[in-house]
Amino acid sequence: MPMKGRFPIRRTLEYLQKGEIVFKKSVKIMTVNYNTHGDLSEGARKFVFFNIPQIQYKNPWVQIMMFKNMTPSPFVRFYLDDGEQVLVDVEGKHHKEITHHVKKILGKTDQVLEAEALAKMELSNPANFGHKKYFLRECMSEVEGQVPHPGLVPLPKEMTGKYRAKMAATSDE
Amino acid sequence: MSARQASVHAKWVIGQVIGTKMKKTAKVRVTRLVLDNYLLKYYNKRKTYFAHDALEQCTIGDVVLLKALPGKRSKHVKHELSEVVFKVGQVVDPLTGMRVAGKQYLEPLAESTEDAEVSLTEKLEQLNITASSPPSPS
Repeated sequence: MPMKGRFPIRRTLEYLQKGEIVFKKSVKIMTVNYNTHGDLSEGARKFVFFNIPQIQYKNPWVQIMMFKNMTPSPFVRFYLDDGEQVLVDVEGKHHKEITHHVKKILGKTDQVLEAEALAKMELSNPANFGHKKYFLRECMSEVEGQVPHPGLVPLPKEMTGKYRAKMAATSDE
Repeated sequence: MSARQASVHAKWVIGQVIGTKMKKTAKVRVTRLVLDNYLLKYYNKRKTYFAHDALEQCTIGDVVLLKALPGKRSKHVKHELSEVVFKVGQVVDPLTGMRVAGKQYLEPLAESTEDAEVSLTEKLEQLNITASSPPSPS
């Protein structure tokens, strides 16, 4: 039972998470002007079709707007936080070239991304126990090889409190 | 201690003007791409903002860049008009700076046609195309 649509792989979480471009904090708006017909806009059209969902997934707070058939040549425009605008001419380029160029000018570098991922990992220690929402395990009984919870599996007689108390009482006498 | 004069979350937004009936205020529709959780596809979600437009220079259909004001101007107006990106009917191509309509330039790209004609005839003379008899096939 295949997925519906032309390139349904675009609609998978794995594809969206593989997006390369994570914008710097100062980028607020991204605008793509392209044409629906014509060879020169082909790269821009493919960029919008394949790469815009990835970019929006990785940058949920950047507003992305598309404009069709407004100007003869396609371009991408970015609006930064301090009022600066960055104009990228995209005519005749392949969509992969466009993504590489955009990543180079306004994307966070791989080093910075790795450092951020590392910092995020350091915040949560997998060895800690606690609520399911924040930690992996809640109780030691959830670990394989440890004594299971008596609510699920009854303890052997020797471990129960009342047997031990009885033994302690008979040995004292 | 309520944050009555708190700034807005959206500092810069781009949208299309949909109404100018209010004095010095433009009603702007802003679309953002929102992921549908089941289909995993992005769709445009609309939101209307009111922007202060001191010179009343907006017409319906303009694409406009709004900047957040430091504090609320009135109950609904929290942004002001920063610049008109594309004026309706008078779109200017940012790459060439010339007026444009769809895929055509409204202003001619070249300087003037007379010089072009002269250079064309000169170039044709230089090429020296003569009608020579074709070689016999044998």
